[in-house]
This record gives sequence, C-alpha cells and structure tokens, in this order.
Amino acid sequence: MEILEIILTSLYVSLTSTAIASIIAILLAVPFSIKDFKLKRAIYRIADSLMAMPPVVMGLIVFIILSKRGPLGELNLLFTPTAMIIAQMLLILPIIFVLTVRQIEKIAPTIQKNCYMLGGDYGDFLFLIINECKGEIFTSVTSGFSRAISEVGAVMMVGGNIKGYTRVMTTFIALETSKGNFKDALIIGLILLAISFLINIILHSLKGRETNEYIN
Amino acid sequence: MNILIKGLVKEYEKVALSIDELFIEGGKIVALLGLNGSGKTTLLECIANFKGYDKGIIYYDGEEDFERVRNKISIMQQRPYIFNMPVKENIILGLRYQRLDTKIIEERLKKYNSYYNLNFLDKNAKKLSGGEAAKVALLRAVILERPLLLLDEPTANMDIEGTLMTEKLLKDINKEFGTTILIVTHDIFQAERIADIVIFMDKGKIIEMNTNEEFFNNPKNPLVKKILKRGEVND
Ligand SMILES: Nc1ncnc2c1ncn2[C@@H]1O[C@H](COP(=O)(O)OP(=O)(O)OP(=O)(O)O)[C@@H](O)[C@H]1O
Ligand SMILES: [Mg+2]
Repeated sequence: MEILEIILTSLYVSLTSTAIASIIAILLAVPFSIKDFKLKRAIYRIADSLMAMPPVVMGLIVFIILSKRGPLGELNLLFTPTAMIIAQMLLILPIIFVLTVRQIEKIAPTIQKNCYMLGGDYGDFLFLIINECKGEIFTSVTSGFSRAISEVGAVMMVGGNIKGYTRVMTTFIALETSKGNFKDALIIGLILLAISFLINIILHSLKGRETNEYIN
Repeated sequence: MNILIKGLVKEYEKVALSIDELFIEGGKIVALLGLNGSGKTTLLECIANFKGYDKGIIYYDGEEDFERVRNKISIMQQRPYIFNMPVKENIILGLRYQRLDTKIIEERLKKYNSYYNLNFLDKNAKKLSGGEAAKVALLRAVILERPLLLLDEPTANMDIEGTLMTEKLLKDINKEFGTTILIVTHDIFQAERIADIVIFMDKGKIIEMNTNEEFFNNPKNPLVKKILKRGEVND
C-alpha cells in the first residue's frame, strides 16, 4: 500500500535525522554552555540565524554538495533517503542546538561544579545534565522533529519525490495537490497533523513536572 | 588541612572580597560570621574553586594547584543544588564516583544518617522541604570524609533538633578525622557552641578573628562589640 510506505519513509527519514542531529547538538551544547571562549557569542548568533534557514535553501546547498560535480558527488547519494536525512539533519541541527543551549546554559555550570566537587568526571557530568534537563532537552528535540517531518523544500530537492523510494508525506501532498487529487492529499495531511498532535500531547504531559528549585 | 590565603580579591560591580592574609589551621572548626553581603559565601566559594577570583593565591596545605587538592575538599552551598534523583542517590553520589563497594557505601550511609534518621531516602530529592534538602546536601558533603569541609549556613533552614544534631555531627567528624571545618552562620550562639576560631567579616574584609573565648569575651572591633551586645548577627 502506497500510503503506508510513504508514512514509513517519512518517519524513517525524520526520526533518523532528528536522532543524529540531537546527539550532535547535545554533545555540542553541553560544553558550549559551560565554557567561555572568544567566538562564543558569534557562534551563537550564527546558529540562532540558521534556525530560520528556509528548507529549500538547505536543499539547494546539500544538492550542490551531493550532485555529480559536487565535493561529495562520488558517493552517489543524491535522490536517496540518505540525502534527505543529511538535508534534514543540517536543517534542524541549529534548532536543537540553540534551544538546548537556551535551556541548559543557566544551570549547567552549577551542575558541573557540584559534579566535579563530588569527584565525577566529564562523563558523569554529561549524564547528570541530561538527567536533570530531560524535559527541556526533549522539548528541543521534538521541536527539531516537528520541523523535520513537516518541511517539504529540502526533501523535495535532494530526494526527488521518487515513488516507492524517496516519496514522503509532505512531497506526496505537494504532488497530489498539484494533480488535483485532494482526497489523498488530505488524508496524508491529517496523518501529519495527528503526528503533530501526538508530539504536543507528549510535551504537555512533561510540562507538569517539577522545576529545579534549588538553583544558585 | 591548612588554608593560607594571600591577597585574595574578588570583584563584581564592586569589591565583594578583599583579604590580605588569612591562615586557617588544620583540624579546627572555624565559624564565619558577618552581615548579609559581607562576602562570606564569596570567600567559601573561592576556597572551593566554585568561583574564580581576580587576584590572590590560596594554598591548601601549601599546595596552590587546586586540581591536586580537589578531592580533599567538599562544600555545601548556601542554596545547595539537589539532583533529580532519590534522596539516597543524592547523598551517596560522591561515593559512587569513587566506585566504592556497595557494602561500604551502605555502611557510611547508615553511619551518617543516624544523626538525622531521614526516613524518606527513596523519595525524589526535588520534592523536599528547605530543611530536608539542607540535611541531604550536608550529608552529601560529609559522607565523603574529606579533610576540608566548607559549609554555608547549613542549619539556616533546619529545626532545632536538626541544628543540634548537625552540630554534634560536625564535632564528631572533627574529632574522628581532624576535619577542618569552615562554617558560615548567622547564629552567634551556634558559633559559640562549636567553633574553635571565630571570624567576623564586614564589607569583604575580615575585621575580627580570634579564638572562641577571646572573640566572645573580649571583642575588639566596635561593630563586633555592638553586635555581640545585641545578641544576633543579622541585618
Ligand atoms: N554573582 C554575583 N554578581 C554580582 N554581585 C554578587 C554576586 N554574588 C555576590 N555578589 C555580591 O557580593 C557581595 C558579597 O556576597 P556574598 O554572597 O559573599 O555575601 P554573604 O556574606 O554570603 O551574605 P549572606 O549572609 O546574605 O549570605 C554582595 O554585595 C553581593 O551582592
Ligand atoms: Mg551567603
């Protein structure tokens, strides 16, 4: 069944890109929050601006890099799900990074000092901060996922909307609408909406949890 | 552990701390008194390397490289950060980092919890009252049995029983291990009960430092005299 395949491709591409982007973003955000260095503000500003990067522009950049004559052309990745994952990953990396930094930067130094005082190492600190800021980090990650699964520009450009291979929910909707087939487009649209709702419900159930009270 | 401080200066918008020289002899219980904003917390957190400072040197048993003495110092902050995990895990976290045997950890926990008999060891520590959290933070620092213990108003939120048991605990470990204890307090009677040495700070400076007896019987600084007459070190 075509629709099921499209949904699965969508989920596969966006979940994978979100997972990779999250790991990289969190591993970068933690040291970024506790260290002071020269270009810190500049990097933050740039990442902050990149949050609003139009997906088609990201699609274009990745397209150029992966195209036959591009720097990574030999990998033959253009018009594959992997290309879509790369494009989405780069698109949401700054989002997850900036949101995570915003959430943890106030508390990270306190946690680090206490962890080191108790004899912990960087790995212990990493575990603690993720444990302390689970909810906040989860919020950042889901924001990234929402953006990934709902964007159409990047996956359209680097995926090519190939039936049974790189066709995902958003590109399906775009195509079917242009063909005048509103019924199928609407069904997928509703499924996309349902996924967004689900994310929202999960987020709200997390919002009720305790906040950090003994902050220095 | 001996502490020798030379020319320590810490500035925010204004100078928060300015200490020409301070020597704290190892094995003593030292009470740190002073009005709000006089720099007590700043001093403690500089010693614990929780805060950087602008000028000066701190020698720990003659060693000025903090990294080498890091595992000999523990601190309980004025507003302790309690981790989002059960009370018990909070208390023994430092022992877990030392990868000690479970049996040893349990024994230590039992030994130190006997002072408070906390009966909520499995409760999430984020949900504690102020005094309960203070007891957890204090045990977390004490259980490490390190040579220098820095305590920032540990009993400010505790009830009378908790306060007295804390004082007993501090005296006990001071006797058993020769722990050097630097304790910030606003309660001059507490200082009188437990301290060998009493320090009074004002506007970032040490204005009086003496043995317990001398400090309370024969204060020299006019501000200290005035405050001791009134009986409360507070604003
Ligand atoms: N992070 C900070 N930024 C700016 N000023 C600060 C900061 N921390 C402390 N100060 C200032 O430094 C001074 C000393 O503060 P400190 O916390 O050491 O006082 P304290 O003696 O511990 O007071 P209290 O009895 O109220 O705990 C105060 O004037 C305070 O306003
Ligand atoms: Mg203070």
